[in-house]
Amino acid sequence: MSERSILLFGYGSHGKFIAKGLQEEGFLLKIIESNHDYYLQAKDDGFMDVEHMDVTNDRLLEVLNPQNYEQLVCVMEDEHLNVFLTLSLRSLFKESYILSISDSIHTTKKLKMAGANKVIDLYEVSANKIHNILKRPVATKLLENFVSGHDGISFKEMLIPKNSFLEGMTTDEVDFSPHGVLLIGMIDEALGHAFVFITAGITHELNYGDTIVCIGPEDALNRFSEEIKKKESQI
Amino acid sequence: MKQLFLSFALKLRKSKRYKESKAYIWELLNGTSNPYKKYLDIFIIFLIVTSVFILVYEVTNPVPIWLDYYDFYFVSFVFFIEYILRLWVHNDLSKYIVEEYRDAQFLHREFKLWPVLKYGLKEKLNYMATPSAIVDLLAIFPAYRPLRVLRIFVLFRVLKLLRYAKSINQFVEVIKNKRFELLTLLFLLFFIVGTAGIAIYVLEERINPEITSIFDAFYWALVTITTVGYGDIAPVTDAGRAISMLTIISGIAMISFATSVIVSAFSERLSEIKENRIIEQVNKSRSFLIVCGYGQMAKMFFRQKKGPMENYVILDKDLKRVEQARKDGYKVVHEDASRFETLSKFNVEHANITILCMAESDVENIYITLNAKSISRKMKVIARVNDISIVSKFEYAGADHLLMPNQVVNTMIRTAITQPTMYKAIHAILTGKSVARIDEMHVHEEHSLVGKSVGELDFKVNKLLFIGLERDGEFLFSPPTAEVIQSYDILLLMGRKISLEYFRNKHEEAL
Repeated sequence: MSERSILLFGYGSHGKFIAKGLQEEGFLLKIIESNHDYYLQAKDDGFMDVEHMDVTNDRLLEVLNPQNYEQLVCVMEDEHLNVFLTLSLRSLFKESYILSISDSIHTTKKLKMAGANKVIDLYEVSANKIHNILKRPVATKLLENFVSGHDGISFKEMLIPKNSFLEGMTTDEVDFSPHGVLLIGMIDEALGHAFVFITAGITHELNYGDTIVCIGPEDALNRFSEEIKKKESQI
Repeated sequence: MKQLFLSFALKLRKSKRYKESKAYIWELLNGTSNPYKKYLDIFIIFLIVTSVFILVYEVTNPVPIWLDYYDFYFVSFVFFIEYILRLWVHNDLSKYIVEEYRDAQFLHREFKLWPVLKYGLKEKLNYMATPSAIVDLLAIFPAYRPLRVLRIFVLFRVLKLLRYAKSINQFVEVIKNKRFELLTLLFLLFFIVGTAGIAIYVLEERINPEITSIFDAFYWALVTITTVGYGDIAPVTDAGRAISMLTIISGIAMISFATSVIVSAFSERLSEIKENRIIEQVNKSRSFLIVCGYGQMAKMFFRQKKGPMENYVILDKDLKRVEQARKDGYKVVHEDASRFETLSKFNVEHANITILCMAESDVENIYITLNAKSISRKMKVIARVNDISIVSKFEYAGADHLLMPNQVVNTMIRTAITQPTMYKAIHAILTGKSVARIDEMHVHEEHSLVGKSVGELDFKVNKLLFIGLERDGEFLFSPPTAEVIQSYDILLLMGRKISLEYFRNKHEEAL
């Protein structure tokens, strides 16, 4: 199967939204749901690859071949079931990348113990946001709009292609403002897989294979991502 | 005479200065918001303490005459003035007279001065009969030393201190609630003391040399029943001793009863007293946070807070959760935030209040939002919304910020899957944990940034990324270098915490 395929467990309040988003982004999606009502809902919403099954049954899980998928996303409505599912998946498929949602502090710990690679904690994220609202109301509101793309400004990550004019330049000398975008940070493959912010004060050389994250108006970002494929900058 | 009173009253009613000064003095003596009240209180307390000290010291040591004069004239004079002012501001005679006059004119009946005057003076007399007013009055009299008995007046000066002791007021309040039980007890005490006293008097009056009058007998009974037992009077006959034994047993019973009544009264009211303290304390600060509902989100909120947090109070109507919060060591009040009385207890006028509605139900959150906004538009409300479809209702209710846990998380998950690199970046920015944070900088009028163009500013030197600025609610992304910064712009900057702080301080100082 292709690189960009997701196995989504659960089509509840979270699963529904995530499925829609992933479909828009062009992901290959398979939805598994144990609740019959949610299963029908998914069918109704036009998802083709939906399966209704008992997720506590290991044999059925094995048949799904999760190793073929890039990520396994566990967002079942029932948090106990979600932990159980995470645990089953981890014990069955050691290599898979599992992302789970948690809606309480205790569940987060359990999910981590159960072997989820990434746990997104509903309350942690929200509580964080309250602190942010209290401390910097405007920045929080703007950022939120950037993330959801409300203002037309958003973030985008781009891979530096071979023979791009960016190759060999350092983060200090590049200035993307003529292109209408700003460089936020990058992943320097030469220095391991860590994300480096532009403001960290360390100079990096841009190379083929590095990922850069930019912020800017959507069309400018799209234009720019085409632009970096060229050998010479037009501007 | 009547005419004279009336014209005088009318004149006072019309005078703005009279009304203002009266209101000012009322606030100074009885209110809470006057800034000078604190100093007045300290001054009065100082007078009391010095005057009592002088008298106590004087018992065995000679004091200079000027201290006597100070105590005799100055302190008494100040207390006299205070008493008169308190009496004056208690009610408004001129208001009654004028109102009565207007009513009389309206109904074409004869204006009678005496009934209104009587009514007003009666109110003043009622005030004078209250315990605190009596204490105030008696505290005026200086302790006249040559007459030893008059020294007792110093006691009233001490009692005057009670006005400044909140815990005593609360104690009285608690005792008042148990009036019925305590009165019953008192009645019982009188009965037993009376019976035992009469019995010992009848039985031993001739035999016991210590008991010479019925007063001695009652004194003995009371000393015995309270288990004090000085032993200056003791029964000498077998019958008298039998009476003693009975009295002692009933005394023990009564004392334990009285103790339990008072203790239970306190334990009933203890949490309420504590909560009132919390509210009072938080009301003193200029800006504070009211957290409604101690659920998962609130717990997480407090857990994430680094360092101690001062100005907040948690409200919850569920007793279990209140207990939980108390155990976790937070300042919590068992109150329903959707009630008008609850929120109006807070210092809505003078403090910046932010309300966090974090109840699990949307209906309750909306209700709290409306409640807060109806009390004062100044209160800032951050509301949690669970159901995304009712966002508009919250906006209509006037919530300043909305928090949608489900939506936030959904966006996060979606970003985490579709753009994992960016997720890391955004997560780091949003949590503010790592080297990069996006922060805002409010430009005010006297800022050294005002009038400078974006190109002139040294963002890059300070390792800051200038993302854009918000002006009049519009966001300008990465404005051209020629753009000039104006007052009240909000700059959106990204960088390490120290860079941000350094940049901010540099431009604050350059005033």
